[in-house]
Amino acid sequence: MKRIRIGQLSRQWLATTPARSPTTTTATTTASRVSILLLLSRPAPAPTALHAQIRCQSTTTAITPEAIFDEPESKESKEPPEESASSHQANSPLPSPHPDKALRSAKLASLHARLSLSSKIPLPTLARALVDPSADAHPYFNNANLAYVGASRLQYHTSEWLVTRYPRLPMDIIFAAMKSFAGEPALHRVARSWGVEAAGAPGEEVDPGYLQFAKDKPSVMMHKWGYARAEAKELVKYKWRRGMSSRVVFDDPFGNTIPPKKTNEVEVSDARNTKELLMEDAEKNAHANFVRAVIGAIYLHCGSDTTKTFVKSHILSRQLDLSNLFEFDLPERELTRLCDRENFDPPVARLLSETGRLSRTPVYVVGIYSGRDKLSEAAGANLLVAKRAAAINALKAWYLYSPGHVGLPSDTFAEDAAPWKPAYVDIGEIIS
Amino acid sequence: METRQVLRPLGSLKHTTPSSAVTPVFRSVASRRHQSTTSRTKKALKLPPHPDFLTPQSGQNHVIFNPPAAAPSVYHTPFKFLPKSDPRRQANLSQLLRSSSDLHTSSRSTELPPPMSKLEMRERKYNVTKEQVEEMRQLRAADPATWSVLKLAEKFNCRPYFVMICCKASPEHKEMENKRLEDIKSRWGTIRTKAREERQKRKELLLRGAL
Repeated sequence: MKRIRIGQLSRQWLATTPARSPTTTTATTTASRVSILLLLSRPAPAPTALHAQIRCQSTTTAITPEAIFDEPESKESKEPPEESASSHQANSPLPSPHPDKALRSAKLASLHARLSLSSKIPLPTLARALVDPSADAHPYFNNANLAYVGASRLQYHTSEWLVTRYPRLPMDIIFAAMKSFAGEPALHRVARSWGVEAAGAPGEEVDPGYLQFAKDKPSVMMHKWGYARAEAKELVKYKWRRGMSSRVVFDDPFGNTIPPKKTNEVEVSDARNTKELLMEDAEKNAHANFVRAVIGAIYLHCGSDTTKTFVKSHILSRQLDLSNLFEFDLPERELTRLCDRENFDPPVARLLSETGRLSRTPVYVVGIYSGRDKLSEAAGANLLVAKRAAAINALKAWYLYSPGHVGLPSDTFAEDAAPWKPAYVDIGEIIS
Repeated sequence: METRQVLRPLGSLKHTTPSSAVTPVFRSVASRRHQSTTSRTKKALKLPPHPDFLTPQSGQNHVIFNPPAAAPSVYHTPFKFLPKSDPRRQANLSQLLRSSSDLHTSSRSTELPPPMSKLEMRERKYNVTKEQVEEMRQLRAADPATWSVLKLAEKFNCRPYFVMICCKASPEHKEMENKRLEDIKSRWGTIRTKAREERQKRKELLLRGAL
């Protein structure tokens, strides 16, 4: 049997800076082997109570988290610390249920069926997706790595959909929309809608179909794409301003700064699980990480096309009214700047209809015209309010332009895909 | 028909006589049927459908589109905002032709609704020269109390906004103005204070599109 260094591949997923890139053949063969390796990653237990000896408390060991799935042969050959450590922890309970229990859990099987997951995704993987790092700090048995893969796929598909579907959205609206589709609160809602329940407390005896996390224990922060800014401390302390362009470069996909790193260790290692990483909302974080981990598992077992379909049907199908995200400062001036920039005639507010001018509750309907073209209209209780509302509507109509159902860049990943037709790219938001 | 004619006086007599004295036979005759029976109501409400809903004489099917009046959606991009590459621009040829002839006819605006106010139709003036701006700054710096923004705008025949672009008041003058405003605000009663606060809230709601 040919050995494949999966460690290389998984390390590339984990590292901030890409490691040596593996060949594509390695990637494809691993995807097919992943299901077997997942089952093998925890050594098969002896039939009786012996299996408790094989696991150990992860805090006592120092395992390098270089691989999501390590080969069992290599583990045995290098005398893993689990075996040596297990001798003095013979009867300590496991922090999370044994993977073998996953095959006998009705709850887990029904969750698998409810999500219409492919049979390529084994139940132990789904069980692993339900274990938060706060419940089981061991990187082989919690969902931190799966969630990391899943988060990157999820954010990629969400952002490409937003940018091609609404090419004129300002950057801060894109950040807000990203958060409402792929952010923690939204993913928490998604997990709740999937019917995932949290266990009262994590432990060996818990049914693997429950989401397991502990509120009082540190979890692993989801590693985010981006850079810790040099001025990160001053941003918090003196409330320095940070521009929108620098957010694109430095910050995470939701436009939030990345906290400066204390150490240079890898995110998912046990050493990172310190007190400071206590989540302020452990429940939301655990639910969100479960959804990300499921997406990661789908990507690893079924490939990128299935992942895309899953993200589209579970995340992007959710309703979000983008027009509610806008807040303007000087809408009339911004509209004038827009008309100047695009060589339109200057906007003129015209009175379309009115009622009750001398009454207590008048209503004016004001339309904004550029030349002979009507841009928008709005009703208001006085002329200036109606004009301002109409200007806001015109700006929203500009920003929310959509070319319709155009292809996504990821469509071209398919084997027999049509050549990519460039999407419409806008020149940028209005500066007033 | 005859019986009804005969019974009518008896029916009116029923209201005058006490109900205890009415015989069962008499009551059954007197209970007049009004419009309020099911079949009569149904018959009375049976109206012919509007001719729009009938199949036309040609026998062709047709679509009736008559939406109620509502604010237009911001997701409907106006024709002018469509980019050049958009296929909808080519599909809507009539709009395209109208826009191209726009340049020639934009001077006459007889068909357009009236402007909201006279100020809407004023042209942009670029009448203030560089020397005048310098003079404006000097006046403002020398005596900001006399040469207020409005006065300067009147003198140089421009908008107050333009004056505020050109000149910057000294910090002392700003502080004095702020103090004057605070004095005025301190004289407000509860009703006016509350009304001003609510006006501010309404303004914020409007800018958020929530009003």
